[in-house]
Amino acid sequence: MIVTPGAIVRLGVLALVTVLLDISGFSGIHVLGGTADLVPLLVGAVALYGGALAGAGTGFATGLLLDLLLGQSLGLSSLVLTLVGYWVGSYRELRDSGHGLLPLVVGAAASVGYVVGIAIVSFMLETNSSVSVLALRSMLLTIFLNTLIAMPFFILVRRVLRPVLVVDPLERRRRRRTVAGESGPIGLRGLEIGR
Amino acid sequence: MYDKKVVRRRRAALAVLVGLSLALLTVYFGESTGGALHAIQRGAQTAFAPIESGLSKVLKPFRDIAGWTGDVVHAKGENKRLRTENAQLRAQAAQGQVATRDNEQFRALLGLPKKAGYPASAKPVTARVIARSPTLWYSTVDIDKGSSDGVRMNQPVVTGNGLAGKITSVTGGNARVTLITDGSSAVSAEVVPLGASGIVTPQVGNPNDLLLDYIERGRDIVKGQTVVTSGFTSSKLESLFPKGIPIGRVTRVEPGELELYQRVHIQPFADLRRMDYVQVLTGTSGNRSRVVSAR
Repeated sequence: MIVTPGAIVRLGVLALVTVLLDISGFSGIHVLGGTADLVPLLVGAVALYGGALAGAGTGFATGLLLDLLLGQSLGLSSLVLTLVGYWVGSYRELRDSGHGLLPLVVGAAASVGYVVGIAIVSFMLETNSSVSVLALRSMLLTIFLNTLIAMPFFILVRRVLRPVLVVDPLERRRRRRTVAGESGPIGLRGLEIGR
Repeated sequence: MYDKKVVRRRRAALAVLVGLSLALLTVYFGESTGGALHAIQRGAQTAFAPIESGLSKVLKPFRDIAGWTGDVVHAKGENKRLRTENAQLRAQAAQGQVATRDNEQFRALLGLPKKAGYPASAKPVTARVIARSPTLWYSTVDIDKGSSDGVRMNQPVVTGNGLAGKITSVTGGNARVTLITDGSSAVSAEVVPLGASGIVTPQVGNPNDLLLDYIERGRDIVKGQTVVTSGFTSSKLESLFPKGIPIGRVTRVEPGELELYQRVHIQPFADLRRMDYVQVLTGTSGNRSRVVSAR
């Protein structure tokens, strides 16, 4: 990702809109007793398209905003989301990040990382009372619902970030496919040649 | 794929961000509620409250549709339970009418307020829920009324059905409510009509099941009994919640084999996950209490 003022503004607006939608809308929509959580999806998407540094930075900023607006312990969500963003970004840089179904895997993985991370940190720092087994069900439902909405959400984030991406993984993949059929000496283009 | 310099710079950035998060956590836990970070948090809460309020209004139809779908699924089971309960209630209604007449006479004599569960001095302020915590580890909601409407720290918050929580942060135009399902909550309560008292604590992750602890083993508590706030007062301590606010209904009793106390499971009356409006009982003793009942 090209770090320009424009890119920072785009990321800032994305983070703000996502957090506000999350706390004012999505947290009140219960499906099968669980709720979707857009925040880890945003961090996962930015990390997938922008890389580890963009992912970690977005994770930190989004977590800070979430903690500020919800009155949670400041730094708690930032810590977990920074690590999630970095982790997803590093994964992207080591593997082929252009696969069409990757948003599903990344969305699920980012949600698992966030949900488990928040649970561990909250449990260590703040929770004094007993924890129901249903907490596990609620966590699993969040991961499941996030996986369901990951694809359209990632497409939306990619569309917003596209102008500031150095490398668009999907575009690169598409170009690779096209180039495979059209490269070579001019006279041979369009012919199927074994490689 | 990436040269060492890039990787090193990236790791350094990660270390800075993680270090910053840990520093924030340390300072936040170390300072009082009047500290700088808490003040910044209150400022952010005030600044974003109008946007949250607007978004909450806009997104209400979507929440309602999702809620309606869930209701249809659960309606069948709920209907059966309600039929049974209705039969029981019909029998109790006759007894209740006599008791109500007696009660009204006693209230008139004692000068108590008409509405059950509300302390005489309470001035309920109705507020709209504008934001909720999306994680199950924090059960908090933000409301659109604040200190300019008479809302103060530690005042009890109720829904039409029962106790919801207490005010834990206030700014001029809005406030934060820590719900009774939050991991830090504890409410002194009693089972009526027995009068057996204990402490209601939540089970994180299960908003439909609260625990009433410290009830002596000998007390005969049965399913269906009502639990209300006990509003205890001793020479030095006073509960944050006034006496008599309904909390929930007993669903199960676990007599501990080797323990002195029995554990009572309660289903809260208030649907804390789907409430859109609450009432803050301003003018109650909450703000001068020093102790317990919560956090």
